[in-house]
Amino acid sequence: MIHSLFLINASGDIFLEKHWKSVVSRSVCDYFFEAQERASEAENVPPVISTPHHYLLSVYRHKIFFVAVIQTEVPPLFVIEFLHRVVDTFQDYFGVCSEVMIKDNVVVVYEVLEEMLDNGFPLATESNILKELIKPPTILRTVVNTITGSTNVGDQLPTGQLSVVPWRRTGVKYTNNEAYFDVIEEIDAIIDKSGSTITAEIQGVIDACVKLTGMPDLTLSFMNPRLLDDVSFHPCVRFKRWESERILSFIPPDGNFRLLSYHVSAQNLVAIPVYVKHNINFRDSSSLGRFEITVGPKQTMGKTIEGVMVTSQMPKSVLNMSLTPSQGTHIFDPVTKLLTWDLGKINPQKLPSLKGSMNLQAGTSKPDENPTINLQFKIQQLAISGLKVNRLDMYGEKYKPFKGIKYMTKAGKFQVRT
Amino acid sequence: MPYLGGEEALRDLRRALSNPHVQAEPLRYRAAVLRVIRLMTQGVDVSGLFAEMVKAGAAADVVQKKLVQLYVCAHAPRMPRLALLAVNTLRRDCADPSPAVRGLALRGLCDLRMPGMQEYVQQPLLSGLRDRASYVRRIAVLGCAKVHRLQGDTEVDGALVNELYSLLRDQDPIVVVNCLRALEEILKKEGGVVINKPIAHHLLNRMADLDQWGQSEVLAFLLRYRPRSEEELFNILSLLDGYLKSSSPSVVMAATKLFLVLAREYPHVQADVLVRVKGPLLAACTSESRELCFTALCHVRQILGSLPGHFSSHYKKFFCSYSEPHYIKCQKMEVLCELVNDENVQQVLEELKGYCTDISVELAQGAISAIGSIARTYTEQCVGILTELLGLQQEHITSAVVQAFRDLVWLCPQCTDAVCQALPGCEDIIQDSEGKQALIWLLGAHGEKVPNAPYVLEDFVENVKTEVFPAVKMELLTALVRLFLSRPAECQDMLGRLLYHCIEEEKDMSVRDRGLFYYRLLQSGVDEVKRVLCSPKSDPSLGLLEDQTEQPVNTWASEFNTLAPIYGKARWALVTAHQPGEPCYAFSPCSDSGNRGTGSLISEGSKEVLKVHPDTGSLTLIPDVALTAEQFEKTWLSLAVSCQQSLPWVGTVHPDTIQTALHVVHIQTIAMSKAGVQPWKAYFTAQDDSGCLFLAELLLEAEDSGMQVAVKQSEAKPEALQAFMSVFRTAVGAVAGLKS
Repeated sequence: MIHSLFLINASGDIFLEKHWKSVVSRSVCDYFFEAQERASEAENVPPVISTPHHYLLSVYRHKIFFVAVIQTEVPPLFVIEFLHRVVDTFQDYFGVCSEVMIKDNVVVVYEVLEEMLDNGFPLATESNILKELIKPPTILRTVVNTITGSTNVGDQLPTGQLSVVPWRRTGVKYTNNEAYFDVIEEIDAIIDKSGSTITAEIQGVIDACVKLTGMPDLTLSFMNPRLLDDVSFHPCVRFKRWESERILSFIPPDGNFRLLSYHVSAQNLVAIPVYVKHNINFRDSSSLGRFEITVGPKQTMGKTIEGVMVTSQMPKSVLNMSLTPSQGTHIFDPVTKLLTWDLGKINPQKLPSLKGSMNLQAGTSKPDENPTINLQFKIQQLAISGLKVNRLDMYGEKYKPFKGIKYMTKAGKFQVRT
Repeated sequence: MPYLGGEEALRDLRRALSNPHVQAEPLRYRAAVLRVIRLMTQGVDVSGLFAEMVKAGAAADVVQKKLVQLYVCAHAPRMPRLALLAVNTLRRDCADPSPAVRGLALRGLCDLRMPGMQEYVQQPLLSGLRDRASYVRRIAVLGCAKVHRLQGDTEVDGALVNELYSLLRDQDPIVVVNCLRALEEILKKEGGVVINKPIAHHLLNRMADLDQWGQSEVLAFLLRYRPRSEEELFNILSLLDGYLKSSSPSVVMAATKLFLVLAREYPHVQADVLVRVKGPLLAACTSESRELCFTALCHVRQILGSLPGHFSSHYKKFFCSYSEPHYIKCQKMEVLCELVNDENVQQVLEELKGYCTDISVELAQGAISAIGSIARTYTEQCVGILTELLGLQQEHITSAVVQAFRDLVWLCPQCTDAVCQALPGCEDIIQDSEGKQALIWLLGAHGEKVPNAPYVLEDFVENVKTEVFPAVKMELLTALVRLFLSRPAECQDMLGRLLYHCIEEEKDMSVRDRGLFYYRLLQSGVDEVKRVLCSPKSDPSLGLLEDQTEQPVNTWASEFNTLAPIYGKARWALVTAHQPGEPCYAFSPCSDSGNRGTGSLISEGSKEVLKVHPDTGSLTLIPDVALTAEQFEKTWLSLAVSCQQSLPWVGTVHPDTIQTALHVVHIQTIAMSKAGVQPWKAYFTAQDDSGCLFLAELLLEAEDSGMQVAVKQSEAKPEALQAFMSVFRTAVGAVAGLKS
C-alpha cells in the first residue's frame, strides 16, 4: 500500500527516506518539488500529486512534509490518516517533531517506522504497544546511554499483545495512582462586519493521562451529556453503555491517550467569548487612513481571557502604520504587511485598544480588500460549550486514585471580518 | 557521498568490532554497532564492514540483532555472496526460543531481496506460519508475499496459498488482515483473494477485533462479495451499521463505499446511507488536518453530483476561513457553487463576493469565476455583483469578471444587454492576455450593442505592434471582421490597417495565416463572409448539456474512497473508457477559454468535419448540407419512412433551443412551426460523409403526448440510421428535460 516514505523540509531537502517494498528513486520527489515551487506558501502544496507512475500523498506538519509514495489505487483518507499517525507517534516519542529531532534520533525513527509498517501495511500503530517494542528516548536515558552504551530498543516483546485488552499491557505498576482528564475546546468562528456570527463551531477533545496500577475499569459521567451528539471515541469506550446510559465506561490504555473528540456546531449553543470593535478607514483622497480596534470580553462566565493575540494582513497599499496600544506590544512588518498585536490579558474594566493611523501609498485608489482580523486567545477553567464532568469512578482495583479534571478553551480559526 | 574523515572512522570501527575485548562486553559491542548505523543513516558508505557486522549479528543481544538486520537488509542486494553468511545466522535465529528473535530473524530473511533466496527462506517461513507467537505469524504471513515478489512470475505455490487461506481463521486479528494482504499480492494475476460466503461471514464476525487500518481494508475486500439473497444483504448491512459512525474517517469512507456498492439496486438505501454519513463527512471537512479536509471535500463534491440538495442546509460549513490553504478554499468555492439553491443563494453570493477582494489573485479570480458559474442559474443577481466588482478598477478583478461575462453571454443570452452596458471602461484596466481576449471577443460578437466598440478596438489596432500575446492578435482579427459585418462604416479603415499589419509585418505565423485567411474570405464577398462568420452568438443548450447533472449514485459508487474523486481527470478518462454511447462532441466551447471564440470559427471555417462518438457506429455528419426547402420536400415525398419513434416530452417546445442543439451535431433545420402552435411540426436534414441523406420530421400533437420522430433515408443503411437516431435522440433529449 505505502511503498516509500520521504521526509522533506520546507527548503526542499529530503532528509529521511524509508522504503518498504523496493527502493523508489528519490527522483519521484521532483514532481513534489515542482508543486512546492508553484505554491506560494508551504501550506498551499496540494496533498495529492499524481506522477506518471506513482501518486504522492503528503501531509504537512511541523514544517516537514511527510510524503508517501503510492503505486496502486488506495483509499486516500487511509493513507493521510496513517501519515498523521506517524507524525503523532514521533511527537509522542520525542516531545517535539522537528527536523533536528528526527535527525538526532534517526535510529529510533527507523525502528519505529519498521514496526509501524511491514511490506507497506500498517502493523503496530498504538503508541502504547510501540513504546514497549522501542523505548522512547528521554534526556536522562540519552545521558545514560552515552555512558553505558545501551540503546532504546526494548528487550522484550510487548506483553500487551497477548493480553485480553489489546490497548493495555498487563502488569502495570505505579506508586502514585493518578488519572487526569483535560477537556480542551477550540472554537472556530467567522464573525462578520457588524459583529454577528456567520459560522461558529466548537471542536472539543478530552485528553487523558492515566497512570493506574493493574486493570482499572473507569466510568466517567457528565452533567450535560446531551451536548455530545457528534462524538467519536477511543476504541476502549464501551459504545453500548454510552448509547443506553450516556456514561463513558472503559478500561483505559496506559499513559496519554485521547478519550474522545466531539463537535458542537448548532449555532445557538456556541457562545462567542470575545468581541472586536473596529474602525478601519482608508480615506479616498489623502494618503492617511485611520485604524482603531478594541477587544472586549463577551459571554466568558466570569473567566479572564488570556494570551490574546491579534493578527491582520493589511492591504498592499499600506506603507506603514503608526499605532499606540493601550497595552501589550505590536509589530507591523512593512514587507509582508502583517500586523501583530500581542496584548495578553483582557481586563474588562479597561478594554485594550490599538489606535493610530496608516500611511497609504500615494496616488493609488483606496484599497478594496478589507483586512481580516485573526484572533488567538485562551480561557482557563472553562469549556465554552458548557460541558462539565460530573464524576469519575473506578472499579476493579482496591486503591484510591488521585483524580483531576482541567478545562480550557482556545481559539481555533477565529476570524473577524471588517 | 564523500564524507570527510569517513575512512578514519571506518578503520576505527572495524578495529572495535573485531576486538575480542569489545565483543566480550555486550554494551560496548552494541555501542560500536550503533555507531555504524549512525554513519549509515548519514550517508557514509559502510559496506566495507559487512563481514564484521554479520558476525556481530550472531550475538545474543536482541537489540544488537535488530541493528545488524537494519544494516544487512540495506547492503545485501549489493553483496550477495557475503550476505549468505548473514542468512545462516538468521536461519539459526529463526529457531530461537524467544518469539521476538524469531520474528525479527524471519523479517530480516524476507527483506534481503536477493535472487536465489527462496531455498533458504522456504523452511523458516513455513514453520513461521505455524509458530505459537502471533508476532511471528504476522511477520511470516507478509513474508510469503515478499518472497513471492522476489520469485517474479513463477508459479503460485498452491500449498502455500491453501495454508494462507486457512490462516484466515487465526485467532490474532492482525494475522487475519495480513493474510488477506498477502493473498491479494500473491494471487494478483488471478484477480486477487477470493471472498466466498464463509470467508465473508467470518470476516464480518471478526470486524470488531480489528484495528482501524484492518477494518478499513477488510471493508474494501468485502466489496468483492455478492450476497446471495436480499435477506443476506440486509443482514450484512445491519452488521456493519456501526462503522458508518466510526471515529476514523477512513473506516467511515470504506463503510460508505461498501454500503453504496452492495445496495446498488436499492436507491433508497443508498440515499439513506448518504444521509447518515453526512455528519461524519462534515466533521472531516472541518477537521484539524488540512489534508483530511481536502479529501473529504472532494468526496462531498462527488456526492453533490448526484444529490445536488444534499448539503444545501449546511452551506455555512463550506465558507472559507482566512487561514486555510488555497487548495481547500478552491474546493470549498466549488462546493458552494454546486449546492446553491433558492434559499441560500443570497448568503452564498454575499460570501463569495467577500472572497473576490482577497489578497491572493488566484483566489479572487477563482471566486469571480464561481459567481460566474452560479450566474447560469441566478443570472440577474450575479451579473449585478460582477458589475459592481468592475467598479473597484483592479486589474485582476476586472480581467476575471470580463472572462466570466464572456462565458455567461454564451450560455445565457438574456443577460447580453446588461453585460454590454458594463463593458465600457474595462479596456484601460485589463492587461493580461486572457482578459484582453475575452473583452475583444465580447466587443466583436456583441459590438452592435456597445456604442463605442469600434473605438475601443481601434485602440487595440493602434497598439497591435506592441502587443505581446499572439492569441490577443488572433482574437482581435476575428472580432474586427465580425464587427465589420455589423458596423462596416466605422470599421473598414482600421480593418484594412490591421490586415495589412498582420500580413506584411507580423512575425507570428499563426497570426499571419489567420490574417491571410480573413483577407481571402473577404475577397470572396460579404455574403460568403456572413455565411461563415455569423454563427450563433450564444448557445444556451450547451450550458445545459454540460450540467445535465444528477448522475445516478451507481456511476461513481465504485470510485468512492479512491483517488478518482480527487483527480477528476482520471475519473473522466475512466468514465469515457467504460461507458460508450455517451455522446462526446469534438469541440465544446467551454473547454479551453484560450481558444474559445476562435475554436468554433476554425471548425466552421475550414469545414472540419465533426466526429460524433466513434462508438455510435462511426457516423460522420458533414456540417453544411446544400438542400433547399423545395428539394427537401421532393425528397421527403419520394421516400418511405425508415424509422419511427416516440420521444418523451413534457410541456411546450422552444424551437430555438432545439434548432441550436441539433445544429451542434450538424443536423440542419429546414422548417419549423412557431412556439406554442398545436400540432407543432419541424423538419430537419443531415448528410453523412458517404453522401447518404437523412430527413427527419418532429411532430408534437398535444402538450403531453410525446414527440413523434419520423426519419427517412436516401440509401438503405441500417447501421448509419441507427447511429443517426442515437445522435438525434441525445440532442433532442438534452433539451427535452428543460423547463423554461
